[in-house]
Amino acid sequence: MRTHQVLKGFSHIWKVRSCGFSARPQSSSPWQPVPVAAALYSQTPQHYVRWQSTAAAAEAIAPEEADQNPNPDNQGITMKGVSMAGRPLYLDMQATSPVDPRVLDAMLPYYMHQFGNPHSRTHLYGWESDRAVEKAREQIAELIGADPKEIIFTSGATESNNISLKGVMHFYKEKKRHAITTQTEHKCVLDSCRHLQQEGFEVTYLPVKKDGLVDLDQLKAAIRPDTGIVSVMTVNNEIGVIQPIAEIGEICRKHRVFLHTDAAQAVGKIPINVDEMKVDLMSLSGHKIYGPKGIGALYMRRRPRVRVEPQMSGGGQERGIRSGTVPAPLAVGMGAACEIALSEMSNDEKYIKSLQERLYKGIMSQLDGVEVNGSVEHRYAGNLNLSFAYVEGESLLMGLKEVAVSSGSACTSASLEPSYVLRALGVEEDMAHTSIRFGIGRFTTEAEIDKAIELTVDQVQKLRKMSPLWEMVQEGIDLKSIQWSQH
Amino acid sequence: MAAVGAARGAPAASEVLNLFRSFLKETRKFADYNIREYIKRRTGESFRESRDLDAAAAASAFEFGKKQLEVVRRQSVVYSLYAPRVKNIMELKFQES
Repeated sequence: MRTHQVLKGFSHIWKVRSCGFSARPQSSSPWQPVPVAAALYSQTPQHYVRWQSTAAAAEAIAPEEADQNPNPDNQGITMKGVSMAGRPLYLDMQATSPVDPRVLDAMLPYYMHQFGNPHSRTHLYGWESDRAVEKAREQIAELIGADPKEIIFTSGATESNNISLKGVMHFYKEKKRHAITTQTEHKCVLDSCRHLQQEGFEVTYLPVKKDGLVDLDQLKAAIRPDTGIVSVMTVNNEIGVIQPIAEIGEICRKHRVFLHTDAAQAVGKIPINVDEMKVDLMSLSGHKIYGPKGIGALYMRRRPRVRVEPQMSGGGQERGIRSGTVPAPLAVGMGAACEIALSEMSNDEKYIKSLQERLYKGIMSQLDGVEVNGSVEHRYAGNLNLSFAYVEGESLLMGLKEVAVSSGSACTSASLEPSYVLRALGVEEDMAHTSIRFGIGRFTTEAEIDKAIELTVDQVQKLRKMSPLWEMVQEGIDLKSIQWSQH
Repeated sequence: MAAVGAARGAPAASEVLNLFRSFLKETRKFADYNIREYIKRRTGESFRESRDLDAAAAASAFEFGKKQLEVVRRQSVVYSLYAPRVKNIMELKFQES
């Protein structure tokens, strides 16, 4: 097309543009592509990013807003039939955590000009990406007291768990036919064990005590001569209980069994040292420690060496254990997150503990019939799982729409059955249904905790007032002694 | 050239104060509620903790602070470019009260 023909085609748009369209600055080039829809239907100027205008940077709208449904008067947001005055306050840190701005700052160059593949050996782009990935490996290793050569990058803790369990058992399948895990593990561990069972291995699922901790005597009794691996998670994602990994490590060393631990919720939050804990394999996750999603790591001990059968076939990257291009920006982000976690750990611990106490006291002082699920002493402070008696769980959650919390873990929240972790603790079904998990993190503020207390107490009291069971309890009737008649 | 290799002295009180003020100024504009509150709290704590450091430690803390200020500056721009139109509940509450 000739220039003048194109210009003619654009002139229609120019005309509309020139009558009162102040959003776009008058650029010298007539070739600025104007969204035709905008020109034809006069949308408000705020819908488009102003080019080359830093003063207007604050008014730019994030691209994903287009498919959310803001309320007509631009107040609040409606999604899935729920309308809220604003974005809810976030108390679900076990599901995922916001990316720390320092982590984002470290990652962005690798999405811009330093975009090379770390496995390219022949040019600067590859060398600089490789250097960044190796630096990230060192940062992760320092956090857990390991050697950088023992860190393998994966796509997340789920993949690391799969490689640990299936990889170890497949490699040693001649001699080792038995695996031990607990009933409160993450779904990916339990599913990997089920897969192993289908292949002919035997798996023991250890029960836990009422406070969520593993019984060490039961573990000792379950170990057999052909046990290949014991898998116990360090910090439980639903109830926040910290397992005695050091003691379990002692037992496993004595019986020469590999110990794998899913430390996704523990890394960067409680001090971890793989030598002190005598751990042979450890899964780490990036997005639980204020890093990016889509990256994790697997720690594999070298002395004494742990061998695994790779689950991914390919070009032999990551020492042949996990083929595939290592995503340099994500790895850099995870490394930066680990470095920050190491330096901020004591400060975060103090702060989160004070917030947890505030939340706990705030709710307990205004409500009764509230129980903490899981051990109170051996617990990570940022996870508080509470059950509210005589309240229906779904309605409680629907009423708490201004607080982003979860009941049960994110992986199982689609199904209506009560969480298997709470069932393993022996929590009764009605209490398991009303459990709420409050996740506190580095970025949570005191004001948010106070608001969460206010909203939770309000909602629970409202629901209890409507509940006939609550009335009966107030009158002193013991619900368990009632003979419900069958009409 | 004589200065190269010599130990740096502790930063002057006015320099430290300027750094702190710059942090406060940058933080005020940050688009995300949680991160804004975190930076405010954390910089206050950091400056308070590094009050009684010796010269070398104070100098390195000051350099670290300057680098972190650059991070805050850059990320302030990035977060404002992608700021959501719907504000956080906590910000609305403050506006109401």
